[in-house]
Amino acid sequence: MTILQVNSLSKKFGALIATDNVSFKVEKGEIVGLIGPNGAGKTTITNLVTGALPKTAGDVFFRGKSINGLKPFQIAGLGLTRTFQVVQPLEGMSVEENVLVGALFGKKNRNHDLKRAKKFTDEVLHLVGLEEKRSYMVSDITLPDLKRMELARVLAMEPEIVFLDEVMAGLNPTEVDAALALVKKLRFERDLTIVYIEHIMRAVMDISDRIIVLHHGKKIVEESPRKVASHPAVIEAYLGKRYADICKVRETENG
Amino acid sequence: MSTERDNALLQKKKSQVLLAALILVALILLPKFIVGYWLRVFTVIFMFGVISQGLNIMAGYMGYIPFGNAMFYGIGAYSTAVAMSHGVPFVLSMCIGAAASVIISVLFGLPVLRLRGHYFAIATIGLAGALLSVVENATEFTGGAMGTTLPIIDKPPQQLYSYFYWGMLGLMVGTTLAMGLIMKSKFGYGIRSIKANEDAANAMGINTTYHKVVTWAISAFFTSLAGSIYAYWMSFIAPTEVFDVMLVVNGIVILLVGGMGSILGPVLGAFIFELLSELTWSHFGEYHLATLGISTILIVFLLPKGLIGKLESLKKKSIPIQDGKIY
Repeated sequence: MTILQVNSLSKKFGALIATDNVSFKVEKGEIVGLIGPNGAGKTTITNLVTGALPKTAGDVFFRGKSINGLKPFQIAGLGLTRTFQVVQPLEGMSVEENVLVGALFGKKNRNHDLKRAKKFTDEVLHLVGLEEKRSYMVSDITLPDLKRMELARVLAMEPEIVFLDEVMAGLNPTEVDAALALVKKLRFERDLTIVYIEHIMRAVMDISDRIIVLHHGKKIVEESPRKVASHPAVIEAYLGKRYADICKVRETENG
Repeated sequence: MSTERDNALLQKKKSQVLLAALILVALILLPKFIVGYWLRVFTVIFMFGVISQGLNIMAGYMGYIPFGNAMFYGIGAYSTAVAMSHGVPFVLSMCIGAAASVIISVLFGLPVLRLRGHYFAIATIGLAGALLSVVENATEFTGGAMGTTLPIIDKPPQQLYSYFYWGMLGLMVGTTLAMGLIMKSKFGYGIRSIKANEDAANAMGINTTYHKVVTWAISAFFTSLAGSIYAYWMSFIAPTEVFDVMLVVNGIVILLVGGMGSILGPVLGAFIFELLSELTWSHFGEYHLATLGISTILIVFLLPKGLIGKLESLKKKSIPIQDGKIY
Protein backbone atom coordinates (compact mmCIF):
# COMPACT_ATOMS: atom_id res chain seq x y z
CA MET A 1 0.00 0.00 0.00
CA THR A 2 1.32 3.43 -0.94
CA ILE A 3 1.33 5.56 2.19
CA LEU A 4 2.95 8.67 0.78
CA GLN A 5 2.95 9.91 -2.77
CA VAL A 6 4.77 13.04 -3.87
CA ASN A 7 4.01 14.35 -7.38
CA SER A 8 6.19 16.92 -9.20
CA LEU A 9 7.05 18.79 -6.03
CA SER A 10 8.82 22.13 -6.59
CA LYS A 11 10.02 24.95 -4.38
CA LYS A 12 11.62 28.22 -5.42
CA PHE A 13 13.33 30.64 -3.07
CA GLY A 14 13.47 33.67 -5.37
CA ALA A 15 15.68 32.59 -8.28
CA LEU A 16 16.98 29.51 -6.46
CA ILE A 17 15.18 26.29 -7.26
CA ALA A 18 15.56 24.28 -4.05
CA THR A 19 13.30 21.45 -5.13
CA ASP A 20 12.85 20.79 -8.83
CA ASN A 21 9.96 18.60 -9.97
CA VAL A 22 10.59 15.74 -7.54
CA SER A 23 8.24 12.74 -7.47
CA PHE A 24 8.44 9.61 -5.36
CA LYS A 25 6.33 7.06 -3.52
CA VAL A 26 6.75 5.39 -0.15
CA GLU A 27 5.12 2.03 0.59
CA LYS A 28 3.94 1.03 4.05
CA GLY A 29 6.70 -0.49 6.17
CA GLU A 30 9.52 0.69 3.92
CA ILE A 31 12.64 2.58 4.84
CA VAL A 32 13.50 4.96 2.06
CA GLY A 33 16.86 6.69 2.20
CA LEU A 34 17.04 10.28 0.96
CA ILE A 35 20.60 11.34 0.26
CA GLY A 36 22.51 13.99 -1.65
CA PRO A 37 25.38 16.43 -1.20
CA ASN A 38 24.95 19.46 1.07
CA GLY A 39 22.30 21.79 -0.29
CA ALA A 40 20.71 19.12 -2.47
CA GLY A 41 17.30 19.92 -1.00
CA LYS A 42 16.68 17.04 1.41
CA THR A 43 15.48 19.11 4.34
CA THR A 44 13.47 21.33 1.99
CA ILE A 45 11.52 18.27 0.87
CA THR A 46 10.87 17.38 4.50
CA ASN A 47 9.66 20.92 5.16
CA LEU A 48 7.39 20.85 2.11
CA VAL A 49 5.85 17.47 2.86
CA THR A 50 5.20 18.23 6.56
CA GLY A 51 3.74 21.66 5.79
CA ALA A 52 6.47 23.73 7.45
CA LEU A 53 7.08 25.53 4.12
CA PRO A 54 4.51 26.35 1.41
CA LYS A 55 5.25 24.62 -1.89
CA THR A 56 5.59 26.40 -5.21
CA ALA A 57 4.05 23.53 -7.16
CA GLY A 58 3.19 19.86 -6.85
CA ASP A 59 0.95 17.59 -4.80
CA VAL A 60 1.44 15.45 -1.73
CA PHE A 61 -0.91 12.57 -0.96
CA PHE A 62 -0.96 10.83 2.40
CA ARG A 63 -2.89 7.54 2.38
CA GLY A 64 -4.37 8.55 -0.93
CA LYS A 65 -5.69 11.89 0.30
CA SER A 66 -4.27 15.25 -0.69
CA ILE A 67 -2.62 17.12 2.20
CA ASN A 68 -1.88 20.24 0.16
CA GLY A 69 -2.31 23.43 2.17
CA LEU A 70 -2.67 21.72 5.54
CA LYS A 71 -0.83 23.22 8.52
CA PRO A 72 2.00 21.29 10.22
CA PHE A 73 -0.14 20.45 13.26
CA GLN A 74 -2.90 19.06 11.01
CA ILE A 75 -0.41 16.92 9.08
CA ALA A 76 1.09 15.69 12.34
CA GLY A 77 -2.44 14.92 13.49
CA LEU A 78 -2.92 12.64 10.48
CA GLY A 79 0.18 10.65 11.38
CA LEU A 80 2.95 12.18 9.27
CA THR A 81 5.78 13.38 11.47
CA ARG A 82 9.40 14.49 11.35
CA THR A 83 12.45 15.06 13.47
CA PHE A 84 14.61 18.14 13.03
CA GLN A 85 18.11 18.26 11.60
CA VAL A 86 19.01 20.78 14.28
CA VAL A 87 17.36 19.35 17.40
CA GLN A 88 14.32 21.31 18.51
CA PRO A 89 13.67 20.36 22.12
CA LEU A 90 10.96 22.09 24.14
CA GLU A 91 13.30 24.26 26.22
CA GLY A 92 12.65 24.59 29.91
CA MET A 93 10.93 21.22 30.10
CA SER A 94 12.21 17.85 31.25
CA VAL A 95 12.89 14.91 28.93
CA GLU A 96 9.75 13.24 30.22
CA GLU A 97 7.60 16.31 29.59
CA ASN A 98 8.94 16.63 26.05
CA VAL A 99 7.84 13.10 25.31
CA LEU A 100 4.56 13.57 27.17
CA VAL A 101 3.64 16.50 24.91
CA GLY A 102 4.13 14.17 21.94
CA ALA A 103 1.86 11.59 23.56
CA LEU A 104 -0.81 14.17 24.45
CA PHE A 105 -0.92 15.75 21.02
CA GLY A 106 0.62 14.02 18.00
CA LYS A 107 -1.72 11.78 16.07
CA LYS A 108 -5.37 12.64 16.47
CA ASN A 109 -8.25 10.53 17.76
CA ARG A 110 -6.23 8.37 20.11
CA ASN A 111 -8.33 9.37 23.14
CA HIS A 112 -5.23 10.00 25.17
CA ASP A 113 -6.10 11.57 28.48
CA LEU A 114 -3.30 12.69 30.77
CA LYS A 115 -3.13 9.38 32.62
CA ARG A 116 -2.91 7.23 29.51
CA ALA A 117 -0.47 9.63 27.89
CA LYS A 118 1.79 9.37 30.92
CA LYS A 119 1.71 5.60 30.77
CA PHE A 120 2.51 5.65 27.09
CA THR A 121 5.37 8.07 27.78
CA ASP A 122 6.86 5.56 30.22
CA GLU A 123 6.65 2.89 27.55
CA VAL A 124 8.39 4.99 24.91
CA LEU A 125 11.11 6.18 27.30
CA HIS A 126 11.82 2.54 28.09
CA LEU A 127 11.94 1.65 24.42
CA VAL A 128 14.56 4.26 23.53
CA GLY A 129 16.46 3.76 26.78
CA LEU A 130 16.00 7.20 28.29
CA GLU A 131 14.27 6.10 31.48
CA GLU A 132 17.15 7.07 33.69
CA LYS A 133 17.29 10.58 32.35
CA ARG A 134 13.59 11.22 32.30
CA SER A 135 13.57 14.02 34.85
CA TYR A 136 16.62 15.82 33.46
CA MET A 137 15.99 19.19 31.86
CA VAL A 138 16.64 19.12 28.11
CA SER A 139 19.40 21.71 28.59
CA ASP A 140 21.28 19.23 30.80
CA ILE A 141 21.58 16.24 28.46
CA THR A 142 24.09 15.48 25.70
CA LEU A 143 23.48 15.68 21.96
CA PRO A 144 23.10 11.88 21.49
CA ASP A 145 20.51 11.90 24.26
CA LEU A 146 18.73 14.87 22.70
CA LYS A 147 18.51 12.98 19.41
CA ARG A 148 17.23 9.95 21.31
CA MET A 149 14.66 12.18 22.97
CA GLU A 150 13.52 13.52 19.61
CA LEU A 151 13.03 9.95 18.46
CA ALA A 152 11.08 9.18 21.62
CA ARG A 153 8.96 12.27 21.12
CA VAL A 154 8.16 11.30 17.57
CA LEU A 155 7.28 7.74 18.66
CA ALA A 156 5.02 9.11 21.37
CA MET A 157 3.07 10.83 18.61
CA GLU A 158 2.32 7.38 17.13
CA PRO A 159 2.92 8.36 13.52
CA GLU A 160 2.50 6.11 10.51
CA ILE A 161 5.39 7.64 8.64
CA VAL A 162 8.37 9.61 9.94
CA PHE A 163 10.92 11.79 8.20
CA LEU A 164 14.10 11.28 10.19
CA ASP A 165 16.24 14.29 9.29
CA GLU A 166 19.86 13.46 10.10
CA VAL A 167 19.21 11.85 13.46
CA MET A 168 22.84 10.73 13.50
CA ALA A 169 24.55 13.99 12.62
CA GLY A 170 27.12 14.91 15.22
CA LEU A 171 27.33 11.42 16.71
CA ASN A 172 30.60 9.50 16.95
CA PRO A 173 30.91 6.00 15.35
CA THR A 174 29.91 4.13 18.53
CA GLU A 175 26.91 6.36 18.99
CA VAL A 176 25.98 5.87 15.33
CA ASP A 177 25.93 2.10 15.88
CA ALA A 178 23.70 2.50 18.92
CA ALA A 179 21.35 4.83 17.04
CA LEU A 180 21.28 2.49 14.06
CA ALA A 181 20.31 -0.44 16.29
CA LEU A 182 17.60 1.70 17.82
CA VAL A 183 16.09 2.74 14.49
CA LYS A 184 16.07 -0.91 13.35
CA LYS A 185 14.40 -1.96 16.57
CA LEU A 186 11.77 0.75 16.25
CA ARG A 187 11.00 -0.26 12.71
CA PHE A 188 10.06 -3.76 13.80
CA GLU A 189 8.48 -3.00 17.15
CA ARG A 190 6.43 -0.02 16.02
CA ASP A 191 5.78 -0.99 12.42
CA LEU A 192 7.09 2.37 11.26
CA THR A 193 7.48 3.65 7.75
CA ILE A 194 10.57 5.82 7.56
CA VAL A 195 12.00 8.35 5.15
CA TYR A 196 15.58 8.44 6.23
CA ILE A 197 17.74 11.49 5.51
CA GLU A 198 21.38 10.99 6.33
CA HIS A 199 24.93 11.94 5.40
CA ILE A 200 26.53 8.95 7.05
CA MET A 201 26.63 6.51 4.11
CA ARG A 202 27.31 3.49 6.28
CA ALA A 203 24.03 4.09 8.09
CA VAL A 204 21.93 4.74 4.99
CA MET A 205 23.33 1.75 3.11
CA ASP A 206 22.75 -0.50 6.07
CA ILE A 207 19.20 0.45 6.80
CA SER A 208 17.42 1.52 3.59
CA ASP A 209 15.31 -0.64 1.32
CA ARG A 210 15.58 1.93 -1.43
CA ILE A 211 17.57 5.11 -1.86
CA ILE A 212 16.63 8.35 -3.59
CA VAL A 213 19.54 10.61 -4.55
CA LEU A 214 19.00 14.35 -4.89
CA HIS A 215 21.33 16.82 -6.56
CA HIS A 216 20.64 20.55 -7.00
CA GLY A 217 17.02 19.93 -6.05
CA LYS A 218 16.48 17.24 -8.71
CA LYS A 219 15.99 13.54 -8.20
CA ILE A 220 18.85 11.94 -10.13
CA VAL A 221 18.68 8.29 -9.07
CA GLU A 222 16.27 5.95 -7.30
CA GLU A 223 17.78 2.51 -6.73
CA SER A 224 18.59 -0.19 -4.21
CA PRO A 225 21.47 0.68 -1.84
CA ARG A 226 23.92 -1.63 -3.61
CA LYS A 227 23.31 -0.10 -7.04
CA VAL A 228 23.30 3.48 -5.79
CA ALA A 229 26.84 3.21 -4.44
CA SER A 230 28.27 2.45 -7.86
CA HIS A 231 25.92 4.57 -9.94
CA PRO A 232 27.92 7.00 -12.16
CA ALA A 233 25.47 9.89 -11.64
CA VAL A 234 25.80 9.54 -7.87
CA ILE A 235 29.58 9.43 -8.00
CA GLU A 236 29.52 12.50 -10.22
CA ALA A 237 27.24 14.37 -7.84
CA TYR A 238 29.41 13.63 -4.83
CA LEU A 239 32.92 13.54 -6.26
CA GLY A 240 32.73 15.52 -9.49
CA LYS A 241 32.60 14.68 -13.22
CA ARG A 242 36.33 13.99 -13.64
CA TYR A 243 36.36 11.37 -10.91
CA ALA A 244 33.25 9.77 -12.35
CA ASP A 245 34.93 9.57 -15.78
CA ILE A 246 38.00 7.94 -14.26
CA CYS A 247 35.74 5.38 -12.61
CA LYS A 248 34.04 4.66 -15.94
CA VAL A 249 37.36 4.17 -17.68
CA ARG A 250 38.55 1.84 -14.92
CA GLU A 251 35.35 -0.16 -15.11
CA THR A 252 35.72 -0.69 -18.86
CA GLU A 253 39.42 -1.54 -18.43
CA ASN A 254 38.55 -4.14 -15.84
CA GLY A 255 36.08 -5.59 -18.28
CA MET B 1 10.03 0.27 47.30
CA SER B 2 8.78 3.68 46.44
CA THR B 3 5.76 3.50 48.74
CA GLU B 4 7.72 5.05 51.60
CA ARG B 5 8.70 7.95 49.40
CA ASP B 6 5.18 8.25 48.04
CA ASN B 7 3.85 8.41 51.57
CA ALA B 8 6.36 11.07 52.49
CA LEU B 9 5.37 13.00 49.40
CA LEU B 10 1.69 12.64 50.24
CA GLN B 11 2.37 13.84 53.79
CA LYS B 12 4.21 16.83 52.40
CA LYS B 13 1.37 17.64 50.04
CA LYS B 14 -1.13 17.32 52.87
CA SER B 15 0.80 19.73 55.04
CA GLN B 16 1.05 22.18 52.13
CA VAL B 17 -2.71 22.07 51.57
CA LEU B 18 -3.25 22.51 55.30
CA LEU B 19 -0.96 25.55 55.35
CA ALA B 20 -2.75 27.09 52.37
CA ALA B 21 -6.14 26.49 54.05
CA LEU B 22 -4.91 28.12 57.27
CA ILE B 23 -3.65 31.19 55.42
CA LEU B 24 -6.92 31.41 53.53
CA VAL B 25 -9.01 31.23 56.74
CA ALA B 26 -6.79 33.90 58.29
CA LEU B 27 -7.29 36.13 55.26
CA ILE B 28 -11.07 35.60 55.36
CA LEU B 29 -11.20 36.58 59.02
CA LEU B 30 -8.78 39.50 58.64
CA PRO B 31 -11.40 42.25 58.00
CA LYS B 32 -12.67 41.73 61.56
CA PHE B 33 -9.34 42.96 62.89
CA ILE B 34 -8.09 45.64 60.54
CA VAL B 35 -9.51 49.02 59.59
CA GLY B 36 -10.19 50.97 56.41
CA TYR B 37 -6.67 51.77 55.24
CA TRP B 38 -5.22 48.27 55.53
CA LEU B 39 -8.42 46.74 54.21
CA ARG B 40 -7.89 48.85 51.12
CA VAL B 41 -4.24 47.84 50.84
CA PHE B 42 -5.14 44.16 50.94
CA THR B 43 -7.92 44.58 48.39
CA VAL B 44 -5.40 46.20 46.04
CA ILE B 45 -3.00 43.29 46.66
CA PHE B 46 -5.68 40.79 45.66
CA MET B 47 -6.53 42.87 42.61
CA PHE B 48 -2.91 42.86 41.45
CA GLY B 49 -2.80 39.16 42.18
CA VAL B 50 -5.56 38.67 39.61
CA ILE B 51 -4.01 41.02 37.02
CA SER B 52 -0.65 39.26 37.42
CA GLN B 53 -2.26 35.84 37.01
CA GLY B 54 -3.69 37.10 33.74
CA LEU B 55 -0.20 38.19 32.67
CA ASN B 56 1.41 35.04 34.02
CA ILE B 57 -0.51 32.60 31.85
CA MET B 58 0.39 34.69 28.78
CA ALA B 59 3.95 35.84 29.55
CA GLY B 60 5.11 33.32 32.14
CA TYR B 61 3.70 30.16 30.56
CA MET B 62 3.15 30.95 26.88
CA GLY B 63 5.90 33.53 26.32
CA TYR B 64 3.72 36.31 24.92
CA ILE B 65 3.82 39.57 26.91
CA PRO B 66 0.38 41.20 26.65
CA PHE B 67 1.30 44.82 27.44
CA GLY B 68 -2.16 45.98 26.46
CA ASN B 69 -3.98 43.75 28.95
CA ALA B 70 -5.15 46.88 30.80
CA MET B 71 -7.77 47.16 28.06
CA PHE B 72 -9.63 44.17 29.50
CA TYR B 73 -9.49 45.74 32.95
CA GLY B 74 -10.96 48.87 31.36
CA ILE B 75 -13.59 46.93 29.44
CA GLY B 76 -14.63 45.16 32.65
CA ALA B 77 -14.81 48.43 34.57
CA TYR B 78 -16.68 50.34 31.87
CA SER B 79 -19.10 47.54 31.00
CA THR B 80 -20.02 47.33 34.66
CA ALA B 81 -20.43 51.10 34.97
CA VAL B 82 -22.56 51.45 31.83
CA ALA B 83 -24.67 48.34 32.52
CA MET B 84 -25.31 49.30 36.15
CA SER B 85 -26.31 52.84 35.17
CA HIS B 86 -29.03 51.14 33.10
CA GLY B 87 -30.23 49.24 36.15
CA VAL B 88 -28.51 45.89 35.48
CA PRO B 89 -27.50 44.12 38.73
CA PHE B 90 -23.78 43.95 39.55
CA VAL B 91 -23.14 40.24 39.00
CA LEU B 92 -24.83 40.34 35.61
CA SER B 93 -22.88 43.49 34.65
CA MET B 94 -19.69 41.72 35.61
CA CYS B 95 -20.62 38.83 33.30
CA ILE B 96 -21.42 41.26 30.47
CA GLY B 97 -17.97 42.83 30.91
CA ALA B 98 -16.26 39.44 30.95
CA ALA B 99 -18.15 38.35 27.82
CA ALA B 100 -17.19 41.59 26.06
CA SER B 101 -13.53 41.09 27.03
CA VAL B 102 -13.49 37.51 25.81
CA ILE B 103 -15.11 38.47 22.48
CA ILE B 104 -12.67 41.36 21.93
CA SER B 105 -9.65 39.22 22.87
CA VAL B 106 -10.69 36.57 20.34
CA LEU B 107 -11.45 39.10 17.58
CA PHE B 108 -8.13 40.88 18.08
CA GLY B 109 -6.24 37.75 19.01
CA LEU B 110 -6.84 35.99 15.71
CA PRO B 111 -4.85 38.56 13.70
CA VAL B 112 -2.54 39.94 16.42
CA LEU B 113 -1.36 36.60 17.83
CA ARG B 114 0.22 35.85 14.46
CA LEU B 115 2.89 38.29 15.60
CA ARG B 116 5.58 36.90 17.82
CA GLY B 117 7.57 38.32 20.72
CA HIS B 118 7.95 42.09 20.95
CA TYR B 119 5.71 42.72 17.96
CA PHE B 120 2.78 41.16 19.76
CA ALA B 121 3.50 43.21 22.92
CA ILE B 122 3.59 46.45 20.93
CA ALA B 123 0.46 45.62 18.93
CA THR B 124 -1.52 45.09 22.15
CA ILE B 125 -0.40 48.51 23.46
CA GLY B 126 -1.76 50.00 20.24
CA LEU B 127 -5.08 48.22 20.71
CA ALA B 128 -5.36 49.39 24.31
CA GLY B 129 -4.68 52.97 23.16
CA ALA B 130 -7.33 52.72 20.46
CA LEU B 131 -9.92 51.41 22.93
CA LEU B 132 -9.05 54.20 25.36
CA SER B 133 -9.77 56.77 22.62
CA VAL B 134 -13.09 55.10 21.85
CA VAL B 135 -14.15 55.23 25.50
CA GLU B 136 -12.98 58.85 25.88
CA ASN B 137 -14.91 59.99 22.82
CA ALA B 138 -18.14 58.03 23.13
CA THR B 139 -19.22 60.66 25.65
CA GLU B 140 -22.99 60.07 25.72
CA PHE B 141 -22.42 56.36 26.34
CA THR B 142 -19.41 56.29 28.68
CA GLY B 143 -19.27 59.78 30.18
CA GLY B 144 -16.17 60.54 28.14
CA ALA B 145 -12.82 61.66 29.50
CA MET B 146 -14.51 63.06 32.62
CA GLY B 147 -15.22 59.54 33.85
CA THR B 148 -18.44 58.05 35.11
CA THR B 149 -20.05 57.06 38.39
CA LEU B 150 -21.53 53.81 39.64
CA PRO B 151 -24.32 53.36 42.18
CA ILE B 152 -23.12 53.62 45.78
CA ILE B 153 -24.12 50.88 48.21
CA ASP B 154 -25.82 52.27 51.29
CA LYS B 155 -23.80 50.49 54.02
CA PRO B 156 -21.33 51.61 56.69
CA PRO B 157 -17.77 51.93 55.24
CA GLN B 158 -16.14 49.12 57.26
CA GLN B 159 -18.79 46.64 56.14
CA LEU B 160 -18.72 47.92 52.58
CA TYR B 161 -14.96 47.66 52.29
CA SER B 162 -15.09 44.18 53.81
CA TYR B 163 -17.47 43.10 51.04
CA PHE B 164 -15.04 44.24 48.34
CA TYR B 165 -12.13 42.72 50.26
CA TRP B 166 -13.88 39.33 50.24
CA GLY B 167 -14.98 39.76 46.65
CA MET B 168 -11.44 40.48 45.45
CA LEU B 169 -9.97 37.73 47.69
CA GLY B 170 -12.48 35.25 46.25
CA LEU B 171 -11.59 36.30 42.72
CA MET B 172 -7.87 35.93 43.38
CA VAL B 173 -8.28 32.48 44.94
CA GLY B 174 -10.63 31.42 42.14
CA THR B 175 -8.25 32.70 39.46
CA THR B 176 -5.28 30.96 41.07
CA LEU B 177 -7.13 27.64 41.34
CA ALA B 178 -8.33 27.93 37.75
CA MET B 179 -4.80 28.64 36.52
CA GLY B 180 -3.48 25.70 38.53
CA LEU B 181 -6.02 23.36 36.94
CA ILE B 182 -5.39 24.72 33.45
CA MET B 183 -1.63 24.32 33.73
CA LYS B 184 -1.99 20.71 34.87
CA SER B 185 -4.22 19.84 31.92
CA LYS B 186 -3.41 18.86 28.35
CA PHE B 187 -4.15 22.44 27.33
CA GLY B 188 -1.54 23.63 29.84
CA TYR B 189 1.13 21.44 28.25
CA GLY B 190 0.15 22.93 24.90
CA ILE B 191 0.67 26.47 26.22
CA ARG B 192 4.06 25.66 27.73
CA SER B 193 5.20 24.03 24.50
CA ILE B 194 4.49 27.25 22.64
CA LYS B 195 6.85 29.17 24.92
CA ALA B 196 9.41 26.38 24.75
CA ASN B 197 9.56 26.17 20.96
CA GLU B 198 6.64 27.29 18.85
CA ASP B 199 7.78 25.62 15.61
CA ALA B 200 8.43 22.32 17.33
CA ALA B 201 5.05 22.59 19.07
CA ASN B 202 3.33 23.04 15.73
CA ALA B 203 5.19 20.08 14.23
CA MET B 204 4.15 17.97 17.22
CA GLY B 205 0.49 18.40 16.43
CA ILE B 206 -0.38 21.36 18.64
CA ASN B 207 -2.80 23.85 17.10
CA THR B 208 -0.78 26.85 18.21
CA THR B 209 -3.20 29.53 16.98
CA TYR B 210 -6.09 27.96 18.87
CA HIS B 211 -4.01 27.66 22.05
CA LYS B 212 -2.79 31.25 21.83
CA VAL B 213 -6.23 32.75 21.23
CA VAL B 214 -7.94 30.73 23.97
CA THR B 215 -5.15 31.56 26.43
CA TRP B 216 -5.51 35.26 25.77
CA ALA B 217 -9.29 34.93 26.21
CA ILE B 218 -8.74 33.28 29.61
CA SER B 219 -6.35 36.07 30.55
CA ALA B 220 -8.90 38.68 29.39
CA PHE B 221 -11.73 36.99 31.30
CA PHE B 222 -10.07 37.19 34.72
CA THR B 223 -8.56 40.65 34.16
CA SER B 224 -11.99 41.92 33.20
CA LEU B 225 -13.57 40.55 36.40
CA ALA B 226 -10.95 42.40 38.46
CA GLY B 227 -11.83 45.61 36.58
CA SER B 228 -15.54 45.11 37.29
CA ILE B 229 -15.05 44.70 41.03
CA TYR B 230 -12.67 47.67 41.08
CA ALA B 231 -15.23 49.91 39.36
CA TYR B 232 -18.00 49.02 41.80
CA TRP B 233 -15.60 49.42 44.71
CA MET B 234 -14.43 52.90 43.66
CA SER B 235 -17.90 53.92 42.43
CA PHE B 236 -16.14 56.39 40.14
CA ILE B 237 -13.88 55.53 37.20
CA ALA B 238 -12.04 57.57 34.59
CA PRO B 239 -10.76 56.18 31.26
CA THR B 240 -7.07 56.99 31.80
CA GLU B 241 -7.20 55.27 35.18
CA VAL B 242 -8.67 51.91 34.16
CA PHE B 243 -6.93 51.74 30.76
CA ASP B 244 -3.61 52.68 32.43
CA VAL B 245 -0.62 50.76 31.04
CA MET B 246 0.98 51.10 34.51
CA LEU B 247 -1.43 48.42 35.73
CA VAL B 248 0.36 45.99 33.43
CA VAL B 249 3.82 47.34 34.20
CA ASN B 250 3.18 46.84 37.93
CA GLY B 251 1.79 43.41 37.16
CA ILE B 252 4.95 42.45 35.30
CA VAL B 253 7.18 43.69 38.13
CA ILE B 254 5.06 41.57 40.47
CA LEU B 255 5.62 38.59 38.20
CA LEU B 256 9.36 39.18 38.19
CA VAL B 257 9.45 39.45 41.98
CA GLY B 258 7.20 36.45 42.60
CA GLY B 259 8.37 34.21 39.80
CA MET B 260 7.18 33.92 36.20
CA GLY B 261 5.62 30.67 35.15
CA SER B 262 4.66 29.45 38.61
CA ILE B 263 1.12 29.34 39.97
CA LEU B 264 1.80 31.04 43.29
CA GLY B 265 4.36 33.51 41.91
CA PRO B 266 1.84 36.24 41.09
CA VAL B 267 0.13 35.96 44.49
CA LEU B 268 3.37 36.05 46.44
CA GLY B 269 4.72 38.83 44.23
CA ALA B 270 1.59 40.94 44.71
CA PHE B 271 1.90 40.71 48.50
CA ILE B 272 5.58 41.61 48.53
CA PHE B 273 5.42 44.35 45.93
CA GLU B 274 2.36 46.09 47.35
CA LEU B 275 3.49 45.86 50.97
CA LEU B 276 6.92 47.14 49.93
CA SER B 277 5.25 49.97 48.05
CA GLU B 278 3.17 50.87 51.13
CA LEU B 279 6.21 50.73 53.39
CA THR B 280 8.37 52.93 51.18
CA TRP B 281 5.48 55.35 50.76
CA SER B 282 4.92 55.71 54.50
CA HIS B 283 8.61 55.80 55.49
CA PHE B 284 10.38 57.61 52.68
CA GLY B 285 7.72 60.11 51.66
CA GLU B 286 8.74 61.89 48.50
CA TYR B 287 11.54 59.44 47.78
CA HIS B 288 9.22 56.47 47.85
CA LEU B 289 9.24 55.81 44.10
CA ALA B 290 13.05 55.84 44.03
CA THR B 291 13.28 53.49 47.01
CA LEU B 292 10.63 51.21 45.54
CA GLY B 293 12.42 51.16 42.21
CA ILE B 294 15.78 50.37 43.76
CA SER B 295 14.39 47.60 45.95
CA THR B 296 12.62 46.10 42.95
CA ILE B 297 15.85 46.15 40.94
CA LEU B 298 17.67 44.51 43.85
CA ILE B 299 15.05 41.76 44.16
CA VAL B 300 15.06 41.04 40.45
CA PHE B 301 18.88 41.13 40.41
CA LEU B 302 19.29 38.79 43.36
CA LEU B 303 16.40 36.48 42.45
CA PRO B 304 16.35 36.28 38.65
CA LYS B 305 13.73 33.53 38.72
CA GLY B 306 11.66 35.24 41.38
CA LEU B 307 10.97 34.10 44.90
CA ILE B 308 9.19 30.91 43.85
CA GLY B 309 12.08 30.01 41.54
CA LYS B 310 14.54 30.49 44.40
CA LEU B 311 12.46 28.36 46.75
CA GLU B 312 12.20 25.61 44.14
CA SER B 313 15.92 25.51 43.44
CA LEU B 314 16.57 25.25 47.19
CA LYS B 315 14.06 22.41 47.41
CA LYS B 316 15.59 20.57 44.45
CA LYS B 317 19.02 20.58 46.07
CA SER B 318 17.65 19.00 49.24
CA ILE B 319 15.83 16.14 47.50
CA PRO B 320 17.84 13.10 46.36
CA ILE B 321 17.38 11.60 42.92
CA GLN B 322 16.66 7.89 42.67
CA ASP B 323 15.96 5.81 39.58
CA GLY B 324 16.30 9.04 37.67
CA LYS B 325 13.02 10.21 39.15
CA ILE B 326 12.89 13.29 41.32
CA TYR B 327 10.78 12.57 44.34
